[in-house]
Amino acid sequence: MLDAVRAEALKLRRHRATWLMVWIYPIAFTLIIGGVLLYGLFAAHGPAGPPQPAAEWIQDSTMLWKVPTSAPGRFLIAGFAAVVFAGEYGWNTWKLIIPARTRWQLIAAKWAVTLGFLVIALVAADLITLLGGWLGSLQDGQLPAGVTLAAVAEAHWKAGTHALLPIIYTIAFAGLFAILTQSILATVILSIAMVVIEGMLPLIAIFFHGYAPALTSWLVKVLPLYHMANLNAWAKGGAAIPFGPNEILSLSWTTSFWALTAWIVAAGLGTQLRFLRQDLN
Amino acid sequence: MPTSEPSGTPALELRALGKTYGRGARGKRAVDDVSLSVRHGEVYGFLGPNGAGKSTTIRMALGLIRPSDGEVRLFGQPVSDKHALRRVGSLVDGGTFYPFLSGRDNLRVLARTQGHDGARIEAVLERVDLARDARRKVKGYSTGMKQRLGVAAALLDDPDLVILDEPANGLDAAGIQDMRNLLRGLAADGKAVFLSSHLLHEVEQICDRVAIVHKGKLLREATVRDLLDHGQALRVEAEPLDAAETALQGKWPVQRVQDGLSVQAPRADAPAIVRQLVEAGTDVFRVGPDDQSLEEIFLTMTRDTDA
Repeated sequence: MLDAVRAEALKLRRHRATWLMVWIYPIAFTLIIGGVLLYGLFAAHGPAGPPQPAAEWIQDSTMLWKVPTSAPGRFLIAGFAAVVFAGEYGWNTWKLIIPARTRWQLIAAKWAVTLGFLVIALVAADLITLLGGWLGSLQDGQLPAGVTLAAVAEAHWKAGTHALLPIIYTIAFAGLFAILTQSILATVILSIAMVVIEGMLPLIAIFFHGYAPALTSWLVKVLPLYHMANLNAWAKGGAAIPFGPNEILSLSWTTSFWALTAWIVAAGLGTQLRFLRQDLN
Repeated sequence: MPTSEPSGTPALELRALGKTYGRGARGKRAVDDVSLSVRHGEVYGFLGPNGAGKSTTIRMALGLIRPSDGEVRLFGQPVSDKHALRRVGSLVDGGTFYPFLSGRDNLRVLARTQGHDGARIEAVLERVDLARDARRKVKGYSTGMKQRLGVAAALLDDPDLVILDEPANGLDAAGIQDMRNLLRGLAADGKAVFLSSHLLHEVEQICDRVAIVHKGKLLREATVRDLLDHGQALRVEAEPLDAAETALQGKWPVQRVQDGLSVQAPRADAPAIVRQLVEAGTDVFRVGPDDQSLEEIFLTMTRDTDA
């Protein structure tokens, strides 16, 4: 299995899509933060403002982890997953590798490399952001009192783990779409549609609630879209999502976590089962 | 040669293999009841016109397509057995590779997928004369270069069975000659080679046995020698041909071939045949031994099926 992962990594590490949709994170953040620091070096310094509270400084330093859970961030993830999974159909290369390895391992290797590359890129970008924030604070004077390594590590660990589930969810469904449609473009379109519908869920739910309130209520609770939106809402501090004139759904973080985990497992199983039975002409 | 399976076990065995695309009345039978076996140390040719079901059969043999009926066995094991499938090297669709990687990196990816470090990469690149171009990206390769890289990929894990779909496609005369020597060399090393081709002249020169398929059905399986050896057959060239055919029918089995008639008769019957033709008012240009090429046999068989 490790060899299949190595092969996948060897294949993708220099692909243009990996640069544009994965390595873009550390590269872009290096350029942005480097630019800000350079500007700070040469710009005229005004009078120092009030010191930033430590909690706020730490929270600001985790801003990177908001990117992969945002709509544009998830478009990038879905685009990369589309290339990883559906690319084999476009290049006609399943025929090269399927006789060499069991099909489930080839799919599992793709999940591992897609997630692994993204985590490496995001952790690198996070460290760059943190370093930039630290250097920026030193430029302005000193770090706010109360910023400790332990507090920073805890905040970043928490932000990173909260971002993980939406990333895995996006990869799982993009992988499923890729195996079903066998097309990069179709996978990207379906993934974007999913994210857009998720954002419009309250509006859509309110619209359908007028026609079939019970069904709408049941669908909202069961489908993954609400749970993804609910987790995002929890991450921002509020968790209530309206879906009817007088109805607000406010499930707990853990309920949505497990519901989404179940959907991810279902998408993974669906991908494996479909691929196992797929004819490759 | 592997010893894990009982001696005499074919490297590849197709048992009543069939494939139908689609369902119900719209279903298309692409392969129908094809049975054959390929032994170690032989080159086996799979002949057929376009759309005969050759590629579908090869894909079923490699586990890329699931058969609708029958089964594929590799070294006595079902094709779903990955240990058996890993002893197979293959070339389909003229070599399918990652266009953004170099030839060498494509082989590295394949080696890793196969579970080894690719120690034979340089050797196989040398063997197919691609060592100098191995650093170039595959998207810049010509058809012939991709074909040669495909052969290198097929040989990478030192397979016991090599399955090649139209291996001579895109190769120049020298490349075809090299391919011929390579395949014969593999067979001499005890490996089994199964190749599909429409280049009948090539098959005639390379293969020990051939199967002729048409419209998904296996028409005949025989050694090349048996196919070419028509025993007591005479070739007749006469004009008008229709009148000549009518004159001979009823006394000898007659078959139309390119430029004449093939008559199942011993050499001693030649004078009687000439007399018969002259009496029928036809002009006789030639009566002699019938040395049919594989191409003629192939065309005759497929034409008969069409009729």
